[in-house]
Parts: sequence; C-alpha cells; structure tokens
Amino acid sequence: MDRRLFLQMVGAGGLAATSVACPRFLSKAKGGPEPPAPFGIPTSCELCPNKCSVLAMVEDGRVRKLNPNPENPKSRGMLCARGNAAIQQVYDPDRLKQPLIRAGARGEGKWRPVSWDEAFDYAAARLRVTRDKYGPEGTLWSSTEGFQEVFFKNLGMAFGSPNILRHPSLCLASVNLAYSVTFGTVPSFDLLNAKYVIMAGANRFESIITPDTMDLIGGVMERKAKFVYLDPRFTVTASKADEWYPIRPGTDMAFILAMIQVIISEERHDKVFVDQWTLGFEQLAEHVKGCTPEWAEGETGIPARDIRRIAREFADAGHRAVFYAGRRSSWYQNDFQMRRAQAILNAIVGNWDREGGMVPNRKVAKGEFLFLPWDDPKASRVDEIEKAFPLASAKDGAYLPLRENVLKGKPYPVKAWMIYKQDPLNAVPDQGKTLRMMEGMDFIGVVDIAMSDTAWYADVVFPESHYLERTDPIEVMPGIWPAAVLRQQVVKPIHDTRPCLEIAQGLAKRLGLSDYFDYTIDQWIEAEAKELPVENGLEYMKKHGVVAFSEPKYGTTRNAVYRFVTKSGKIELFSERLQEAGHDPLPAYAAPAQPPAGRYRMILGRKATMTHAALANLPWLHEHNPENDLWLNAGEAARLGIRTGDLVEVSSTAGTVRLKARATEEIRPDCVFMLHGFGKKSPWLRSVHNVGAADAVLLETAWDKVSGNAAMHETFVKVVKV
Amino acid sequence: MPKNPTRRYIMVLDSRKCIDCKACVVACKAENRVPLGRFRNWINAEREGAFPRLRASFDPEQCHHCENPSCVRVCPTGASWQREDGIVMVREADCIGCKYCMVACPYGARFFNEETKVVDKCTFCAHRVDRGEVPACVETCPSRVRTFGDAADPKSPVHALLEGRRYRVLKPQTGNGPQLYYLL
Repeated sequence: MDRRLFLQMVGAGGLAATSVACPRFLSKAKGGPEPPAPFGIPTSCELCPNKCSVLAMVEDGRVRKLNPNPENPKSRGMLCARGNAAIQQVYDPDRLKQPLIRAGARGEGKWRPVSWDEAFDYAAARLRVTRDKYGPEGTLWSSTEGFQEVFFKNLGMAFGSPNILRHPSLCLASVNLAYSVTFGTVPSFDLLNAKYVIMAGANRFESIITPDTMDLIGGVMERKAKFVYLDPRFTVTASKADEWYPIRPGTDMAFILAMIQVIISEERHDKVFVDQWTLGFEQLAEHVKGCTPEWAEGETGIPARDIRRIAREFADAGHRAVFYAGRRSSWYQNDFQMRRAQAILNAIVGNWDREGGMVPNRKVAKGEFLFLPWDDPKASRVDEIEKAFPLASAKDGAYLPLRENVLKGKPYPVKAWMIYKQDPLNAVPDQGKTLRMMEGMDFIGVVDIAMSDTAWYADVVFPESHYLERTDPIEVMPGIWPAAVLRQQVVKPIHDTRPCLEIAQGLAKRLGLSDYFDYTIDQWIEAEAKELPVENGLEYMKKHGVVAFSEPKYGTTRNAVYRFVTKSGKIELFSERLQEAGHDPLPAYAAPAQPPAGRYRMILGRKATMTHAALANLPWLHEHNPENDLWLNAGEAARLGIRTGDLVEVSSTAGTVRLKARATEEIRPDCVFMLHGFGKKSPWLRSVHNVGAADAVLLETAWDKVSGNAAMHETFVKVVKV
Repeated sequence: MPKNPTRRYIMVLDSRKCIDCKACVVACKAENRVPLGRFRNWINAEREGAFPRLRASFDPEQCHHCENPSCVRVCPTGASWQREDGIVMVREADCIGCKYCMVACPYGARFFNEETKVVDKCTFCAHRVDRGEVPACVETCPSRVRTFGDAADPKSPVHALLEGRRYRVLKPQTGNGPQLYYLL
C-alpha cells in the first residue's frame, strides 16, 4: 500500500498555485518523511460532517482566526464559510454556559442554572426511574455524527437500551444501502479525473462536500469534463453545468432506466467488464426493454433526443463517466430503488475502481481503545427495524418509523429520551409529531453547545464544550484520498462546559456504569494513534493534525481473485437478496404522485452558508441569509397575485407556516422551496427565533420502503397570500 | 501591468470557478475584524433569463489596489496612501473620516467603519503578505478562484496566468489602472 504522505502531492501541483507567496507551503513541497510543523494549532472542523483540517491561530488564549491546513488532501487546503465562522460559535453570547434544569413547564423557558453534580444526579435519577418502571428499553438515545458521538452511544448501550438512534435515516441511509447491496461497499466518485459527470439531487456547489465540490470545479473548469445536471431548481450548480434540465421531481429513475436502455440496446456497455464482474445483466436488459427515451420523456419532461444523446455520450466516456451518487438521499419513498438504478448504470459502463470512475474507499489504519464490554440489550428495538427493514442498518435505526411506534407506545413504552448534538424538532419532518413525542416523555436530556429548539423543550440541558475547546477521538476519513484527523483542544473552555466523554462519565458514575468508562480521552487517542502509519503517531498528530495518503490507488479490486462483498461475490445488477426480502430485485419504476391542482411539491436544498439548522444563528453566516423565504415560480406567483416580499401562508397536512414569498424564475412551476434553519422556537437563538419559517413544520411523515430513510420530498403544500 | 517596480502585488480572478460560497467574505471578516453589515470583499451575482433559460455569474470584488488610485489623490490628510509594492492602505491615525475617498473610488470598495471611526477597505491582508503569506480570501477559497502574486516577478503564478489567458479589468476608462485581473 502506498504510504507516502500527502506532502509530496502538495509539491506536485494542487496547491502550488497559491504557494508561491507563501514560504511555509514551499518548504513543505520538498517532501521527505516529516514536514515542518505548520503555524497554528492543527485541529479538525466540526461545522459539518466533512472533518476538514484547520489551523487555529490563538492569541492571548482566544482563537483569533481559523486557517485551512493544507496537509489534508481531503479538505484540499481550503476552509469554507461555515468553517471560517466557527470562531463565532465559541464566543456566541447565545451559547449554553452552564448546566440547566427546567423550572417551568416544557417550552416555557424557565431555567435553573445548576452545578454539574446536580445536573448529573437529576438526570441519572430520572433515567433510573424509567429503567425501573419500563426496563432499559424504555430509554431512547439519539445523536448526530460527531467525533464524541461514540461515548454517548456507548452510554446508551451500557445502560442496556436497544434504542440507539443515529442520523443516517434522516440523511444518506438509502444511497448507502443501495450501493452496498449492489457493490458490497459504498464507493467514492473520482470527480477530479472524470470526463463526464451527471449529477441529480446533489447541489454540490452549494452543499459543499470535500473533496467532491473542489474536484468538480477542477474537473469541470480546468480539465473540461462535461457536466450534466438535473434539478427542479436553478442552483449555483445548475449555473456551472454544461446542460441543466429542470426534471419533474421524483422521476430521476425514469431518466436513468432510459439511459440504461439506450446503452444496452446499442451495445455501448463495457461488455468485458459486465461479463467478468456483474450478475444479472440478461435480466436487466429484459427489465429495461420498455424504458425508452420516449417513455422517459413523458415521465421526466426531458426531451427523448437529449436522453438518448446523453446516454451515448455517457457510455462513450466509459470508465471516466460517473452518475454521481450525492449524499442526502431522504427524498422519496422509492429512493433506494432510484439509487440502485444509478449504481447499476455506473456498473455497466465499467467505471468501477478506475481513474475518473467510482473508487472503493481506502482507509488510514488506526488503533482501537479496548474498553470493558457490556451485555447485549435484552429487548428488541422499538422501531422493529429487523422486521420492517431487514436490510437497513439496525445499529443506526429508522427515525420516522421509530417515532410512530413511540407515539403508539408499541411494542413497548419509551419514556426517556437522551439527545446528543441533534435537533430533532428541526431535523425530522413533522415538527408537530416530534413535539407530541417529546410531550409523551417523562424525561428528556439534551447535550449541545447552544439552546436548540429541542433543548428548549428538554428537562435538563448539558452544555458541551465547543470543538475548539476539547480533544476528540482520532477519526478516519475514508475515501480516494483517505486521511486520519485529530481534533485537539485549541483553547480552554470559556464557560462551565464539558466534552461529551465527561458528560457520559458523570452520568455513568451515577448509573453504576463507571467501569465501562474508566479511561481518559488521552488514553483513548493514545491507543488509536499507535496504529497510525507514521512514527510517534500521537506526537505527529498533535503537530500536524492529519495523516493522509498522497495519491489515489486505482484498480485494487480489479483482479481475478477479488470477491465483492455480496452474496454472489459479483456486482449484483439483479439482487437475490432484495428478492428474498420481498423487494424488487431490479429497480422498478413507479410514477410519483403529482401535486393536485392548487398545490405544490415542497423540495429541500441547501446553501453554502446555511447547510444545517445549527448554523443559522452565526452572525457571519446569518448576514448572508437574514431570513428564509418561499421560492415560488414567477408565473405561478403572478397567477396567485403574490409578489416578492408578500407574506404567504403555506400549509400541508402536517402544519402551517407564514413567511415571505420570492417570485423567481429559478424554480419549476410545480415546486416550492425554502431554506432550512429558520423559524426557530428557541428564543436563545436570537437571530432566527421566529424569523422566517421551519421546513420541519410542513414536511409530512413518509419513508423509503427498503431503507426506512425519511422521504422529505413527498409533501404537497398550499400557498395563499395572507 | 505596472512598469519596473521591484514588487507589485496584484490579484488574478477566475470568476468561472466562483460558486458564490462566501468563504472569502467570511475569512476576510474573521481575519480583519470587519463589522457586521460591512464588507471588505464581496461577490457580485448576476442572474438573468426566464425559466428554463437561465444564467448566473459570480464576480468576486474588493479594492482594486489601482496603479493611479483616485482615493489617494483626493485624500486631504494623506491617510490614504500606496505602498511601494502597490498595496493601497488607509493610515487610521490620519483619517478624519471625511469620506472623499469613498466618493472618489469608482468601485465602491470603501466604507466607513463605525467601530474604528475611520474609512476601511481591503488591504490585500498586507500584514499577512509581509509575513510571506497570501491574503485570507485567497488561502481559504474552496474553488481556487483567486491567485495572488507579484506581477514584477516572472516566476509568480499570476504572471503565468496573465500570459496564458485573456483577461479584463473593471472600469478601465477611469484611468485608475485597477489591479484585479478577471480571466475570460
């Protein structure tokens, strides 16, 4: 395995353009086993899941500025607006500054500042009461991705609860499952070297993901790859595409099946690859026979001649053509099957494990800290995921089905909810239902850095230290350019806050679980650093913040003895596993329901400065989006007598909100759109409290049938001028 | 291009690559403590057309660090001045806040800073440049729109870019000699 460090790559190109006026980059370009330590304290950004490497400039114990750390190939030597604004989280006057216990009714906003001991005693007592009455399965532990999430999860498991609920079923569960079922793994896409890129439902220039966003710019702008983009909205990504098609929402699968039909009927697929590596090609050919571009035109609204031409161009680009998978895939109830169609299209052009194609992820080796194991939970999961979604990840759970069961009290009551780094009231569709679920709880504890809406309705709020104030476990970032990063403490906590590990330990002590948490963060990262592919791993990480591989490695799985991690050991175009589980073994298209007259499909999306609900309160980001509004096609708006700036009432079966309208040409006439992160209930988020509206209020409960992933584009809304 | 200085800092911008992500704007805010609602750099967004024939373009802009800066000429106190390397600066101690320079600037690149009570604008992060670093906006840019360098140094990447590509400057007719080069 290639273990040269990324530094050689810095010298080879990439950052060279900006390095000339910057001697500290030049000095690194010489390569060698260990580069000189960078300026600033290296750490790892936490404003989104990308884990970009950062250099923190500290003056007089205050973080003054965050700069990109060019040593991490995955973050491509850059730091986005969100990452730059992270300092403001630390010094945000709205931050949680000490533990709080609710003093009035839930949501009334009366809080009692308490000591950590009192907060722990109180929460542990309530958790014990729940356990005595309902068993450990009477507790729910939900969390979002983060380096310290492991400690929170472990506390839930050590407590004996089967109900550990993570974020994927609100985000990327369906795309991950679809690629896993097909390839046995979830690959990355080599956008830097691709020659033909089709992107649908991934607005990659606004919802920034490293390195994909940067590589797409490189691939499209510098290396002149062709870029085709499908989206009901005219986004920044659309503005950079060679061709943009405002596809009818929910019909992507028809477009993909037609592409497959053209490629197979014209024998443009990679025959050698398909013969050698795939299973079920004959059935696939039969399956797509009727899926002509003319048929797809009727479904998608994209002209048949364009679909046919794109299919030909795509196949002719061969292994340098990719239909990009995207990340958030919580759209439709058939999302899994649509992603399967994508995966199959990619497979038949033979782009697997080739430069410019899909590349299975590599990882940087890392050690594990061994802790005392606990017993498996005795009860089964409350979301009954093993029964309802046998192929889905039982360790992550399925959010919406879980909420349904908890609301019904089936198969057993769940009465306490612990939440880490997550704001279910804004992240989960149908805020009204989530509120009802919260009202049904005897106890709710929230760990967060700010008073989110969910925290506002909690019983105890544990203030976590900010990422710049704590040291987290070492995290491996798999990919084409894999890296391992350390998030190390940059400044001392400025308030009475603690890292999640210490919060877990404080609770564990009072729950009689101390033995399982008998370690420090230093012991944990020491064990992890031991296996890193560098000398003196821990010391190296503290100095550089990242260990990474220099160059992509293509073709490791393209050898005669390689077996894909699927039942057949091949790429499964036809999946017996799906058939056995009662699902379509090949992706079968069903036309999505269309909005009835006078209603619009609500679609979601992001902006580069505002991707997560948690970011809306940061002034440097907020000033670019002071308020969200409802995008409505200008023609429709005129028909309804609505002008930009008018207040409108938007309603679905889940709820009603009021916000300003934006009459714009940049959206299809049958859709409306609003930005996420506004209309907060918590008055401690002053910039966005009651400003604009929250999409979660409107979104209805629907999920993908195979993965249980939330389906957030299945809501039709009515819009009237107030 | 300037004639025969020993050093002449300029910026070359490849706007096609700009994704309007505001990383440069926020990085500048953080680096230079620019007050809320005020900006030393910004992105001009142009959107036009009717559905579905639409177009959008993004041009980052800031002080052009002109060859013959009109702001410097009109400043009554000498607070606006130009370094030998071309960077146009405002000396806070000498600024009386008369705002003549704001009127004189053809690019609207200057603002009155209510916190410091003086006129404020992009300095090309002169403090960073003097340490051998690039401006904060250049360093942070995710899509590498910006290239900062020394036009007098043939080895500087800005040189290669301007040799190899066609470019334009904004409002050349003012005679100010702007030094932000936009690649075509």
